[in-house]
Amino acid sequence: MTMQECYQAMGADYEDVLGRLRSERLIQKFVLKFLDDGSYELLCRSMEEGQIEEAFRASHTIKGVCQNLGFTRLGQSSHDLTEALRGGKSPAADGLLEQVKEDYRQTAGAIRAFKQSNGL
Amino acid sequence: MNRSILADMLEEEYEILEAEDGEEGVNILREHWKDIALVLLDVVMPRMDGFGVLEAMNREGWTEDVPVIMISAESGSAQVARAYDLGVSDFIARPFDAVIVRRRVMNTLLLYAKQKRLMSMVEEQIRETERHSSLMIEILSHIVEFRNGESGLHILHVRTLTEFLLRALVHKTNRYKLSDQDISRISVGSALHDIGKIVIDEKILNKPGKLTAEEFTVMKTHAMKGAEMLDALEEQQRDDPLVRTAYEICRWHHERYDGRGYPDGLAGDDIPIAAQVVALADVYDALTSPRVYKEPIPHEKAVQMILEGKCGAFNPLLLQCLTENAGSIRQELAGGASTDAARRESQNIVKQSIQAATGSLSASDRTLRLLDYERMKHGFFSAMTQEIQFEYTVSPSMLVISAWGAERLGLDEFIPAPADDEKLRAVLGDDGWPEMSAHMRRTTPEHPDIHYESQIVCGGEPRWHRIMLRTIWTADSPPRFDGALGKAVDIHDTHEKLAALENRASRDAMTGLLNRAAAKERIKLRMEERPEGNYALAIFDLDFLKTANDRYGHQFGDQVLKEVARRLVHSVRRSDIACRAGGDEFMLFLEYNTDLGKTVDRIFHSLCGPFGEYNISVTMGVARAEVTGRDYERLFRAADTALYAAKRSGKGKYFFYDRSMRDTLSALSDIDGETEEQGK
Repeated sequence: MTMQECYQAMGADYEDVLGRLRSERLIQKFVLKFLDDGSYELLCRSMEEGQIEEAFRASHTIKGVCQNLGFTRLGQSSHDLTEALRGGKSPAADGLLEQVKEDYRQTAGAIRAFKQSNGL
Repeated sequence: MNRSILADMLEEEYEILEAEDGEEGVNILREHWKDIALVLLDVVMPRMDGFGVLEAMNREGWTEDVPVIMISAESGSAQVARAYDLGVSDFIARPFDAVIVRRRVMNTLLLYAKQKRLMSMVEEQIRETERHSSLMIEILSHIVEFRNGESGLHILHVRTLTEFLLRALVHKTNRYKLSDQDISRISVGSALHDIGKIVIDEKILNKPGKLTAEEFTVMKTHAMKGAEMLDALEEQQRDDPLVRTAYEICRWHHERYDGRGYPDGLAGDDIPIAAQVVALADVYDALTSPRVYKEPIPHEKAVQMILEGKCGAFNPLLLQCLTENAGSIRQELAGGASTDAARRESQNIVKQSIQAATGSLSASDRTLRLLDYERMKHGFFSAMTQEIQFEYTVSPSMLVISAWGAERLGLDEFIPAPADDEKLRAVLGDDGWPEMSAHMRRTTPEHPDIHYESQIVCGGEPRWHRIMLRTIWTADSPPRFDGALGKAVDIHDTHEKLAALENRASRDAMTGLLNRAAAKERIKLRMEERPEGNYALAIFDLDFLKTANDRYGHQFGDQVLKEVARRLVHSVRRSDIACRAGGDEFMLFLEYNTDLGKTVDRIFHSLCGPFGEYNISVTMGVARAEVTGRDYERLFRAADTALYAAKRSGKGKYFFYDRSMRDTLSALSDIDGETEEQGK
């Protein structure tokens, strides 16, 4: 599996990220790092505990990372969730969280598959 | 992770300090702001957001020196405007583009560097001029005016004219490569052109009328003499550019462009430009000023005489400068002595415009140097005084301890949220911080200082410190409590010494036991502090001590008393209060749990017994607080009564007080009063 195929599998824009970061090495480094970033766990946990401000920040971080890495799909859903959490929890937030979870699973799954197929 | 993407883009070219959140960022800035070239600032962060950081930076005045680029994903225009207001230089949008990020960072850095350099150049120049003028003019005016009343003004004129001619010359040609600093240096140096005259005989110097040939020869030596004077300076000063310039001026200001001048007969541009200009200025002012031997010549006539070569030969370029600017020159000189004031005025204007353009001059390198110096001084002295110094700010709640202090206490120099800091709590004790906060809150802006003593743990050992605080208040009305400066001085040794003195005052010199007054205080205190305890007071005195004294002498009697004290100390616990009440009377206050009778019996028997050939025997009365109530006086009287009862029944025994003894007489007459009878 190539990085490009990995991006395809997660519904992300490889051309965009390559245009900006300009280095395949850099992209791979950060894509792999994405799995270690604790923001997703933080988001899920703080949503469960009703820590909305914390959840907002976590969601905002995920969104930023996605933007930077060109993860279009997860980027969109985390963007929607961020807005639904800005300045307090709106009714749509729980539904949007589910979308984020689904997109995250897909994204993380694709990265893991990439990792495995390249023996990393 | 967003942070590390940015770091990755920049780490090849720059050294990067990363901060987890706003508060950490502010802490890093506090420590390193002098070395930080640029801040990349995110908006959404835990603990303190980007705007919080900007506000802190503004408050501390860092924004003037450290440019900030803000990272914005979706900031609305209101946010952008607010960020600009708070001093943000530029924005980087997410998602990051490596090329744009690098470019923005570099542009901002270059812009700041250029501004800083320009500012320091302008300032350097202002400073240079100020330093030179104040120093040189003062020295010269004094020396020369002392010798010759007229020359004081002459020097000012020559200087003004020199500067004027040089500026006109620079305007005309680039041949002499004169910077503003050169012009300033030559103008200042021009004041020295006649210092050699100091060695010329006053009769020649101020002679009305023409000089003889011999006199003129002497007069001419002033050029070389002046140069020699400067050359005789210490090496360090001799090599100063100003002194080099002044040397040229002194030596060659009587050279002529055609080579017929003195002392060296240099011609054309072999004569340094500084000397050429001063020569012309000198001649012009000599002509237009009154002298002892002549009336002043009007401007037009003077210029004409110079052009006709009647007063020397000059660089044609300089002559052009003179004629072309004749009008302005006259005006300039009419200003006369006020030139200096005008100069200062113009400097002030430069300063003010810089201030207006940049917010304030505090950003300048000079100020930074001063600050650095202050910092160094502060660091040095705080290390020397061995004091723990600290600063506290309310918002963000932060305690900053001096390097020496932090090391001494084993704490970090920066302690955010000191109220919740475990390490700090271990050092100050559980009540330490709340106590300090309470003290601080009790101050007012009018009375901001407070002192108190407290124990602080240093190297695992609690030591007494005197804590001195000055609280800081905002300029708002009403003022808000903003923080505090403070120091803690180790007074442990003094404290210990005092305690030792106090100890000595409370002891009986012969036996080392407490004296009665001290014992009484402690007994009262003990019963107050722990009212739930079971207490008893025993009073005993020695039987037949008088007989022992009579038989073996008073020294032996003292030995007996010491022995009894020793036995007493050995048979009671440390927490019990043993005392020599006076004469041969002793007192013991003890706390008991179960069987007081057994304890008293044990103590009684350990006191009695042979001491050499002599047999020590005591009689004792014991009273329990349970019976008398927890009152020292009543307890004492009861024990005293029991002692009396025991004595009456035949000495060498102990009695417990009970209510049946209430009406019995006291054994010791007035033991607790003022008139004590010694040696019963």
